[in-house]
Amino acid sequence: MSSLTMRPCGDFRTSYKQDNTIFETTTIKNVAIFAIALLCAAPYLVDAYYLTLFIQISYLGIAALGLNILVGYTGQISLGHGAFFGFGAFASAWLNISFGIPVLLCIPLAGFLTMAVGMMFGLPASRIKGLYLAIATLAAQFILEDFFARADWFSGGSAGSSADPISIFGFVFNSDESFFYIALAALVIMYIWGCNLMRSRDGRAFVAVRDHYLSAEIMGIKLNKYRLLSFGISSFYAGIGGALYAHYLGYVSAEGFTLFMSIQFLAMIIIGGLGSIKGTLMGVVFMVFLPEVLESGVGLMKMTDWGNIPMVVDGLAYIKEMAIGLVIILFLIFEPQGMAHRWAQIKNYWKFYPFSY
Amino acid sequence: MHNHKAKLTSLLIVSALCTSQQTFAEDSVFVGHLADMSGPTAFVGKNYADGVRDSLAYINENGGINGTKLEYETIDYAYKVPQAIAAYKKWHSRKNMVAMQGWGTADTEALISFVAKDKLPVFSASYSGHLTDPMGKNPHTKKPAPYNFFYGASYSDACRGLVQWAAEDWQKKGGKGKPKFTHIGANHPFPNAPKEACAEYATELGFDVQPAVVISMKPGDFKAQCLSLKSSGSNYGYIGNLGGSVLSLVKSCNTVGTDIQFMSNIWGGDKKIFQAAGEGIKDYVFPAMTPFWTDQVPGMKLVREISKQSDPSGQEERVHHYIRGVCSTFFMKEAMEWAKDNGGITGENIKKAMYARKDWVPAGLEGVCLAGNWSEQDHRGTNQVYIYKGNYNEGNVVVEELSLVTIERRDAWLGF
Repeated sequence: MSSLTMRPCGDFRTSYKQDNTIFETTTIKNVAIFAIALLCAAPYLVDAYYLTLFIQISYLGIAALGLNILVGYTGQISLGHGAFFGFGAFASAWLNISFGIPVLLCIPLAGFLTMAVGMMFGLPASRIKGLYLAIATLAAQFILEDFFARADWFSGGSAGSSADPISIFGFVFNSDESFFYIALAALVIMYIWGCNLMRSRDGRAFVAVRDHYLSAEIMGIKLNKYRLLSFGISSFYAGIGGALYAHYLGYVSAEGFTLFMSIQFLAMIIIGGLGSIKGTLMGVVFMVFLPEVLESGVGLMKMTDWGNIPMVVDGLAYIKEMAIGLVIILFLIFEPQGMAHRWAQIKNYWKFYPFSY
Repeated sequence: MHNHKAKLTSLLIVSALCTSQQTFAEDSVFVGHLADMSGPTAFVGKNYADGVRDSLAYINENGGINGTKLEYETIDYAYKVPQAIAAYKKWHSRKNMVAMQGWGTADTEALISFVAKDKLPVFSASYSGHLTDPMGKNPHTKKPAPYNFFYGASYSDACRGLVQWAAEDWQKKGGKGKPKFTHIGANHPFPNAPKEACAEYATELGFDVQPAVVISMKPGDFKAQCLSLKSSGSNYGYIGNLGGSVLSLVKSCNTVGTDIQFMSNIWGGDKKIFQAAGEGIKDYVFPAMTPFWTDQVPGMKLVREISKQSDPSGQEERVHHYIRGVCSTFFMKEAMEWAKDNGGITGENIKKAMYARKDWVPAGLEGVCLAGNWSEQDHRGTNQVYIYKGNYNEGNVVVEELSLVTIERRDAWLGF
C-alpha cells in the first residue's frame, strides 16, 4: 500500500510504480499470500468458536474499512455507520425474498442500495463540516433505525426478516466451516479493493480533501463530488458487511443496529489507526478479541473454588465492561495514531537494530 | 536450554490439563446460560438470570438430572449480539452443549437459525409471538423457530389477556360507550411486538383503538405524550416499554393528571419499579406468569430454597422475573429427565420431551409455574396470565392479584 504517513529517511522510491505498489515489499506480499493460504486451512485446524470470531472480524472489518475511507482518508465523519450496516443486512434479505434474486448477487446489490442511501445522507457533507456534519449523519442513524422498525414490507418490522444462506450450484454455505470461505474471500477482495482505491486518482483526491480542502479545490478537485463519493463508498462497504452478517445469521432483527454500533465502528478505526487499511483490520481484530479474552479471564476465575461464587463472577462481569472502556482510553492516550503506527515503529526498530535512530 | 525445557514441560502440563478436563465430563451434560447483567436490559436481566443460575446450582446439589451432573456456565453478554454468538459457538463446539438458557430478543433471534440447525433447544425470556410457531404455519411468521421455547405467554397473548381483563373491568365499572385503548411505547421491535395483534383483539372486544403514542425507550419528560393521552380521553393504555421509561411516563402523567388505566407488559411492573416510581403508581395493572414471592402457594417453598443458593440468609425478596427464571429452568430440567429415560440427553430428545406431557407442572413448583402444554405445532406453552395490580400506598407497596385470565388458542394467533 502506498504509505501516506511520513517515511523514514533512506527509503527512496524512484518510479511511480514503486510508489504505488499494493504491498510495500516482496516479503510482505509473500507473507500475505502465505497467511491467506494458511487461513484457507483454518476450518480443518480450529473449531467453530474461532471460525465464528473470524467471520465476525470479516463482516465488521469490511464495514470498518468503509468508515476508515470516509473518516481516515477523506476527513469526513459519520455517526450513522451502524445503521448503514443494518440497511445492507435488510436490503440483501429483502432483495432475496421479494425478488428471488440469488443471495450471492443480493450481497453486492445490497451494497449498491446502501451506497445510494448513504449518498443521500451524505449530501449535507457538501455544505457542512466537522461537528455539524457529525450531527447531520446522526440523523441518518435515527431515521434508519425508525425505518427498520416501521417498514414491514422491507424489514419485517418488529418480527424481523429471515435471510437465506448463500448457495452456489446447490451447495449451501450454512455452516461455520463453509461460510468461513465466503467471509475470507469477501474480506480479501474488499481489502485489496480498498488498497487499490487508495492508490488511484480518486484515492489521492480523498486524501487531498482531507489534508487541505482549499488547496484541493484550487488544484481542481471537485469537493462535493469526492465528499459524496466517499460517503457512497463507505456505505457500500457497510452494506456488504451488513449483507454478509445477515446471511451468516440467517435472521435480521431491527434491534442490533444502534448508535452504539456506529460508535463501535469509530472506536475500531481509531484504535487501529485512522487512514490506514491494515490498521483497520488490526483495530477490528482487537475489538473482537478483547471481550472474548476478558470473558475467558472471567471463565478461568470461575474454575477456581474461591472465584466461582456469584458475587465474584458478577463483579468481574462489570469489571469486564469497564476494562473495554479503559483499554480504549489508554489507547487514545498512549497510542493516538493507532495500532498501525505502533506496528510500524516495532517493525522499524527491528529493521534498524541495533542502529535505530 | 533449561528455559526451553521448562517451557516444554509447562506446555505438556497445560495440554494434559486440557485433555483431562474433557475426559472428566463423562456423566455430565452442559447447559449454557446467556445473561445480561451489565447491559441495557440488566435491571430485569439480572433478576431473571439469578433465577436461572440459582436453579441450575440447586438442581446440581440435589442429584442433577437423575444422577447426571449438570455443567453450566453463565456468560454475561451485555446484550451484545456478537458476544452472544461467540459464546454460543464456543459452547456448541467445545462443551457439547445440549440445551441453552437464553435471555432477550437480541440473542434469541440472532441464534434462531443456528439452534435449529444444531438441533439445540433454547429456553429464553424473549416472549415474541413469532417464536411460538415452530412450523411456520402462520403467514405472519418470518422465520420458523422449531427449537425455541419459553415459559409464559407471548407478549401478544399477555396483551390480549390484559385487554380481556380491561373489557370486563369496563363493564364492572359501568362505563358507557366504547372504551378507548391506546398503545404506548417506543418505535422499537420490543414494544411493537404485540401492537398489531393486541389492537386487533381490542377492536374485536369493542374497544375504540386510538393511534399509538410514541415515547422513547429512555427515561425523559413525557408530559406532551401524557397530554395527548388526556386529550384523546384514552381509558386504557398498554405500556410497551420497560424500566426507567415507564417510571418517567407514570410520573409525567401523574403531573398532567391523566385519567387512564395503565396496563404494562411483563417487564414493566415489579415491586422494585413501584418502589422507585413512588406516588404515581396507583392501580397499575400488569401481567405475570407466576405468583409473587409473598403469595401462599405450595411451590413457593421450593423457590425459597433455590433462592438460598445466592442469598443464604433467605432475606432477599425476589421479583417475579426471578421466579419465571426458576420455572424456565425446571421445565428444562424435567424435559432432560424425560430425555434421559428415552434415549439419552440430547437436544433432539429434549425437544421431544417438551411435547411428552400435557398440563405439565414441574414437581415441587405446584402453584408457582402455570401448566405447560407444548406441542409440535404450537409452542404457546402456557395460555394463562395472572393479572396483578400494584399500588404505591405511600411507600408500603401492595401488589394484589386481580384475576387469572385464560387466552384462547386460536389458530390465527399462532406465531402472531
